[in-house]
Amino acid sequence: MIESALFWICCLVTLVGAIGAATVRNLFHAALLLGLCLAGVAGLYLFLEASYLACIQVIVYIGGILVLTLFATLFSSDIMGAVQRTPIWLRLAGLAGAGLAALVAGRLAQIGIAHAANLGRQRSEPGTVPDVIDGTQAIGDLFVGSWIVPFLLAAMLLTAALVGAVSIVKRYRRPADDTAGPHA
Amino acid sequence: MHNFGPDAIASYLAVAAVLFAAGVLAMATRRNAIGVLIGLELMLNAAALQFAAYGRFRLDGPDIQGQTAAVFVIVVAAAEAAVALALLFAVYRTSKDIDLERTRELRS
Repeated sequence: MIESALFWICCLVTLVGAIGAATVRNLFHAALLLGLCLAGVAGLYLFLEASYLACIQVIVYIGGILVLTLFATLFSSDIMGAVQRTPIWLRLAGLAGAGLAALVAGRLAQIGIAHAANLGRQRSEPGTVPDVIDGTQAIGDLFVGSWIVPFLLAAMLLTAALVGAVSIVKRYRRPADDTAGPHA
Repeated sequence: MHNFGPDAIASYLAVAAVLFAAGVLAMATRRNAIGVLIGLELMLNAAALQFAAYGRFRLDGPDIQGQTAAVFVIVVAAAEAAVALALLFAVYRTSKDIDLERTRELRS
C-alpha cells in the first residue's frame, strides 16, 4: 500500500521536524528542522486533496518565511546555544507540557476511534473533489464571492504589516537644522 | 475499518495537536527571539492543517471553505513573519543581540 506508506512518511517527517525545531539547541538546525516540518505539512495537504494549499505552503512558508527565519539567525550572537542554559524548572515545565500533549493526542485518538468510522468512510469518489485547477478556481471564486470581506481585510492586513515593518526598520533622521538636539 | 491513515481525520488532528504542542513548548522555553518565532510558525501551521482537515472530512462531504480559511491563516503567518523580522532588526540595532531575557527596550 504505497499511499499509506507515503502518508506515514509525511506524518513522521512532520512530527520529527516539529519536535526537533522545538527542542534542538542549535538555532540554525532548529530553523532547518522547521523547514522539514513545513515540507511534511505540504505533503499532508496533498493527502487532504488540497493541492493549492500545498503549493502555497511550499512557496510562502518554505520559500519565504523559512528563508526569513534563516536570515534572522544571523542576528543572534548565540546560535549554537552555548551560553543558553535552560533552568531546571523550565525543563520540568517542558516535560509537563509534553505529557499534556500526549494526553490531548490520546484523547483525540479516542474521539477519532469513536467518530472517524463514519467520517473516514466518506472516501470521495474520483471526480467529485475538484482537482488542482478546479480547486484553485473554486477558492478564487470564494475569495471574490462570499469571502470578499475577509479577503479585503487580509489585503489591508498585509499592507499594514509591510508599512509597519518598513517604519520600524527605518532609521529616523532628524532635520538638518536641528543641531541643538543631543542626537543631531 | 481503520481510524488512522490517509482517510481518517484523527490522524490529521493528532499530527496538528503535536505540532501545536511543539510550538507552545518552543515559545515557552526559548530565550532567543528566533526560537519564539519558530514556535509561532509551528502553531499557525497546526491551525491551518486543522482547517484543511475539517474541510476535507465534513459530514456532508468535502468542502472547499476549509482550504480557504487555511489560506487566510497562511496570510496572517506571512504578515506576522515580516513584522517579527522588522522587530528583530530593531532590537538588534539597539542591543546588538536578540536575547529576549536581556532585551529591555526598543529605543536606543
